[in-house]
Amino acid sequence: MILTRRMTFAAFAGMLALGAAAPANAADLIAIITPSHDNPFFKAEAVGAEAKAKELGYETLVLVHDDDASKQSELIDTAIGRGAKAIILDNAGADASVAAVQKAKDAGVPSFLIDREINATGVAVAQIVSNNYQGAQLGAQEFVKLMGEKGNYVELVGKESDTNAGIRSKGYHDVIDDYPDLKMVAQQSANWSQTEAYSKMESILQANPDIKGVISGNDTMAMGAHAALAAAGRKDVIVVGFDGSNDVRDSIASGGIKATVLQPAYAQAQMAVEQANDFIKNKKSPAEEKQLMDCVLINGDNAAKLETFALTN
Amino acid sequence: MLKKLTWPNVAWATLALPTLAAILGISLTACKILPTPSAENGGNASAFNADKMVGDIWAAKMVPYLEQKAGPFPEVHALAKADPAAAGAKYGNPKKQANSPWTFAVRLEGKIVAANTQSRAATMDVDADGDGKADARVQIGPAMRGTALRDSLDFIQFNDFTNQIEFAQFGKAFNIHADKTVLSKLPREALEGRSARVVGAYVLGSGQDLPLVTPAEAEIGPKP
Repeated sequence: MILTRRMTFAAFAGMLALGAAAPANAADLIAIITPSHDNPFFKAEAVGAEAKAKELGYETLVLVHDDDASKQSELIDTAIGRGAKAIILDNAGADASVAAVQKAKDAGVPSFLIDREINATGVAVAQIVSNNYQGAQLGAQEFVKLMGEKGNYVELVGKESDTNAGIRSKGYHDVIDDYPDLKMVAQQSANWSQTEAYSKMESILQANPDIKGVISGNDTMAMGAHAALAAAGRKDVIVVGFDGSNDVRDSIASGGIKATVLQPAYAQAQMAVEQANDFIKNKKSPAEEKQLMDCVLINGDNAAKLETFALTN
Repeated sequence: MLKKLTWPNVAWATLALPTLAAILGISLTACKILPTPSAENGGNASAFNADKMVGDIWAAKMVPYLEQKAGPFPEVHALAKADPAAAGAKYGNPKKQANSPWTFAVRLEGKIVAANTQSRAATMDVDADGDGKADARVQIGPAMRGTALRDSLDFIQFNDFTNQIEFAQFGKAFNIHADKTVLSKLPREALEGRSARVVGAYVLGSGQDLPLVTPAEAEIGPKP
């Protein structure tokens, strides 16, 4: 694995050198469109993509669609209007985004998707997505272990319109449902939101004081749930998140949240820009449109190595 | 990503023909082995049946593939630690996703030195080189981790599936099938000291844990 990584880095470095040898036209623009930067995960994507694009000599246009498909459509129009050579997109819905990506393609602007899939192939040039299902299985296995394979638990689910909310929930249950002594007493959406998770957790806890664990579809909701549990004096409740944020890293280090799953957001965004660069300069598409990137379990053993959605060695 | 020849200017035209791409995909990668689910059922995702797909290829394709590809565990693991790429070329699936670790086909024989049958994710630790210490941990179900069996097969591609969910369900179906047809029939009591013989797959990990082998075939010998 180490060797493979080195080879990947070598390949990246090679492309980088190529990029340096033939710098992009100063006017060449790459649009980077993601959900709101309020969530540090999406910010890391935008920062990673922007850094790589500038390194390769592009100008950047960084925009946020706030998970609103009609706003996303307007932003795609803006990118087309500004003459972007490529769009790096973390999309606002697997079905709702197909038309927007198609519109860009029809206007001759290739899209490189990160983080979330869309329900169509042949429309975007690349879809580089985290293997959310594999990641959810990792998180759930750790959760099962922490729970001692039994007890009552709560699941906090993400925003329904986001494909990954459903994928993660399915991945969790894929593992947890193999253990009949683990009983889910509540399952609610907190829409990826920390404040919503806090208030939902408060009321769930009132109705179900006998809970032993909370598995959450992302880190911001895990932070909210953990804060509500701590406020109620229930620091004994096991909380597991998903994303690998610095906030949860710090919580793990101080004995709060027990585990999360890292999505390589920063590396993924950079990889998308490299593929866009290759397409713009050499007319080369990636070998496969849909590319899966594995997630990594983060717990007390490796949390210290986590920084801005990347593991250091 | 670097393998592909330079795209001509018809790249967009090609991309605009997903049907053609699907047909090409099937004829190149999946048709003989495994019909693309969406093509098989006219794009109706709800008709996707991972258990049936795995049942169809288990004895016909998968077991023969593993039998042929697998190396003896001590050899595979020694090479994997020294030179993962070389081990991958010989025992692994070269078509794995870019950032995934290698998954190796492996044949494990030895003595059971420990077992955990209290957990639903039951395991047995096997000493393969006769030094009395465990070299690998074998999953014996009913709950099993990971997708090692799926990921060891070079004729299975993520791009042949509609999405991650179907790909994952397909991966889990291998574990379910192994549990139902092989592992649930194994003895659970007094495993220590008995011999074990397994053909399966494991993922090259980076942690301190024993390599975790997922079996496609498994036998446990009589009590000593």
